[in-house]
Amino acid sequence: MENFSALFGGGEPPPPAAAAALGFGPGKPGGPGAGPPPAAAAPPTAEDAARKATAAIGPFYLMRELPGNMELTGSTNLITHYNLEHSYNKFCGKKVKEKLSNFLPDLPGMIDLPGSHDNSSLRSLIEKPPICSSSFNPITGTMLTGFRLHAGPLPEQCRLMHIQPPKKKNKHKHKQSRTQDPVPPETPSDSDHKKKKKKKEEDPERKRKKKEKKKKKNRHSPEHPGVGSSQASSSLR
Amino acid sequence: MAEKFDSLEEQLEKFVENIRQLGIIVSDFQPSSQAGLNQKLNFMVTGLQDIDKCRQQLHDISVPLEVFEYIDQGRNPQLYTKECLERALAKNEQVKGKIDTMKKFKSLLIQELTKVFPEDMAKYKAIRGEEPPP
Repeated sequence: MENFSALFGGGEPPPPAAAAALGFGPGKPGGPGAGPPPAAAAPPTAEDAARKATAAIGPFYLMRELPGNMELTGSTNLITHYNLEHSYNKFCGKKVKEKLSNFLPDLPGMIDLPGSHDNSSLRSLIEKPPICSSSFNPITGTMLTGFRLHAGPLPEQCRLMHIQPPKKKNKHKHKQSRTQDPVPPETPSDSDHKKKKKKKEEDPERKRKKKEKKKKKNRHSPEHPGVGSSQASSSLR
Repeated sequence: MAEKFDSLEEQLEKFVENIRQLGIIVSDFQPSSQAGLNQKLNFMVTGLQDIDKCRQQLHDISVPLEVFEYIDQGRNPQLYTKECLERALAKNEQVKGKIDTMKKFKSLLIQELTKVFPEDMAKYKAIRGEEPPP
């Protein structure tokens, strides 16, 4: 088997110019064009130094300096390194709501619509900045005359400020409503049942009472004197 | 750092509130409210001046353009932050995997080369020094 150094060109050291041009120079971090190519007229010190370096490294003339361990690479968790765990958990731990109105809930108007619809996009503001002066000047009396308005309400299509995106009910509100309404879907039916049952239970008693009342009335009424007198007589007995 | 944003946020909130009130006045305008309207208009100018003053404190803050795209589409800009963090973590894991694989490859290569070229590898190890296994 061939020698490792022979395989990788160790037997015949390459010309230092070529090695330097490739950026693999032994211990020369300058890279290509860092130094002049060693020519015959060049001082022997540079060549000697190169040879000495090659001799020190031996056959491994392509060997480079290893990157330092202190260098920050992808092998470390960069989120932990930059103390971003809190942000990561905040944004990735739970579901972030999709709409802009969830981020800016107090902003009036329909802000969830794309900006291109009403030409209010920030992108267009950057791409085509409005032509205006660099400073903001107060509106003077004569300029204010331009803002005299007619009395009366605005047409419906212009009332953009009043349109708010539909807000979903919060879970808390749901819970509250549930607690406030004492089990609305179930209890009424149950109570109805109970009421009905009560009614059913009460009905025969009521009927009996009504019958007794009727009987009493009939006894005391003048239309049935016979019955009343016979009873009275029997009682007298 | 946060104080800079706080003052800007405060100014923006005031400005938005002033605009909201302006909208209310305009939506059902009465001749008597002309003075109030003029006042609100001038508040708007001063509000813009105040916001412009905040610019000096925030000259070192840069905002990625992609965030504006999210806002223009009516989407929550926090989604951009979320996606950025997720992408960063995914890329981080990907690179870590590559580095680990390369380390394993290196140790295996050294191991195999030592079997075949023990003398040269001894020299190599002498130059490099003993490295901890990955």
